[in-house]
Amino acid sequence: MPRADTRGEIGIRVEGLRFSRGAFSLEVPWLEVSPGEKVAIMGENGSGKTTLLTLIGGFLSPDDGCVEMGGEDLVRLSPRQRARILAFLPQVTSVVFPFTVYQLVLMGRYPHLVGRKPGPGDVQTTLKTMRMLGLEDMSDRRYLSLSGGEQRRVMLAKVLNQGTPVILLDEPVAMLDARHSLTALTLLSCWEGTVVAVVHDINLALPHFRRFLFMREGQILYDVYKEDVNSEILSEVYDVRAYKCWAFGFSLPGEDRPVLPCSRHL
Amino acid sequence: MRILFFVVLLGACLFSLFLGPVKTSPSHLNKETFFILWNFRLPRVVFAAVNGAMLGLSGSLYQLVLRNPLADGFTTGTASASALGAVVAISLGFPAFLVPFPALLGGLLGLVFVYRLSSRSGVVSPVTMVLAGIVVNIVSSSGISFLKYLFEESLSSVVFWLMGGFFLVDWSKIGVCLTVLLAILAYSLFDALSFNLLALDRYSAASSGVDVDGLRRRLFLLATALVALSVSFTGIIGFVGLIVPHVARALFGSDMRENVYYSTLMGAMLLVVADALSRVVVPQGAELPVGIITSLAGGSFFLWLLFKKREGLWYAEG
Repeated sequence: MPRADTRGEIGIRVEGLRFSRGAFSLEVPWLEVSPGEKVAIMGENGSGKTTLLTLIGGFLSPDDGCVEMGGEDLVRLSPRQRARILAFLPQVTSVVFPFTVYQLVLMGRYPHLVGRKPGPGDVQTTLKTMRMLGLEDMSDRRYLSLSGGEQRRVMLAKVLNQGTPVILLDEPVAMLDARHSLTALTLLSCWEGTVVAVVHDINLALPHFRRFLFMREGQILYDVYKEDVNSEILSEVYDVRAYKCWAFGFSLPGEDRPVLPCSRHL
Repeated sequence: MRILFFVVLLGACLFSLFLGPVKTSPSHLNKETFFILWNFRLPRVVFAAVNGAMLGLSGSLYQLVLRNPLADGFTTGTASASALGAVVAISLGFPAFLVPFPALLGGLLGLVFVYRLSSRSGVVSPVTMVLAGIVVNIVSSSGISFLKYLFEESLSSVVFWLMGGFFLVDWSKIGVCLTVLLAILAYSLFDALSFNLLALDRYSAASSGVDVDGLRRRLFLLATALVALSVSFTGIIGFVGLIVPHVARALFGSDMRENVYYSTLMGAMLLVVADALSRVVVPQGAELPVGIITSLAGGSFFLWLLFKKREGLWYAEG
């Protein structure tokens, strides 16, 4: 049983995965993610990104095939054991009742609790996670009174607060502004564990992920490292004319703000 | 704070002990008034408190599991379906102590019907739920009326079932209710931390380490057991479970560890007060069914909830 504090030591292995619902079907014969790897899943709407991510997390049962993390078949783990290995940020999250930001982020510690209430260690970790995402000032605010982007950051903080060796995220920065998107993605790219995320913005994704899976019609069309992403692949996957004109690098000399690479034609 | 609240509840019970058609006061106790207090008032006040606690706790659990601030035993149709179950059992000649079981079965059937009708992939639409609950209420009420028509002698009045009250109280009923209440309350307080996660969407809850379906099923069963037991002994006392979780949430926050406790206590308090009112409101010693008072209070509260989506009591749409 892998421990929660052994971050970065757990990879993912997907074998013979098949899933179909209605007219949609997904097939991934083989996929291996090494421990600590940062993987972005991209592709047009309806290409199966969310389904693949949900299947990898074991939250949907596939028609066939299996997912292993750190040598353990996911279906054999209890929800609590699984929650110590992987954390998951769904595309759409919702919360009922006026919970505070702090209460929600603290919920991420649930799988690690030994007693019936959070210990001092859990509180410390929670405060640290909230600082990482710039949430320390809204600790007592009610989640439902926050803006969409702020709510997203709270849920992201809850997921990171779980402190798992594997994190799966479905469009983690979809609603965030430029600065918070960059902060969040930088945080993820420096995370010790394995990260698999669905991202839409290639310009945001390129500097922060090492490996890219491009999906189309339920299949992984390309599985390439960052260096090999080119305008041909993008043009084919998204059915657009992509021009290669991105900027790399996180900061400019004499400037401590991160740089948002902008391309004119994508 | 928890202890203080418990003391306040005891105070309310003590106070309501001396309210009723026969004038009693703690300073002028004679044999006759003591007899009334000990044999009639005390069991009744305790029974009201226990039933209120059961309904309050069930409301807290229903609102959480259905992720719906409009849910309680009454709006989900559980209470009237339980009443129908109980009435069927009595018509068929079940012994009194077995009646809660068919009531539970009826309640669960009603709940499953409402849940199926109002949920789409695990998300319950508040408005559809209320509509489905109305359907169950209407069908159950007509079923109860029909059975009353057929079995005139063996059934208590239709009013008893639809507008519940504490008419036939004895200590054995109190004992059964109290045991079930304390068992479910103890479990709920013990496991309340995981309940909190059910306030999240399905995947967020599951990925945080709770068995979402298992926990939901368990809480559905427990909440329905509370409602069914209460209904089999007192008829339908509506809206207690709707009101108190909201008040508890507004006063003590959304954490289920607090909500479970305070909903239980406030439910008890609400029903003790409502029952005391039902004893004194009509002159010349007549009594109202307490369900009339709670329904009046609950109906107004429900209306206010529907129209005034106050931040803090309500949640964002969609």
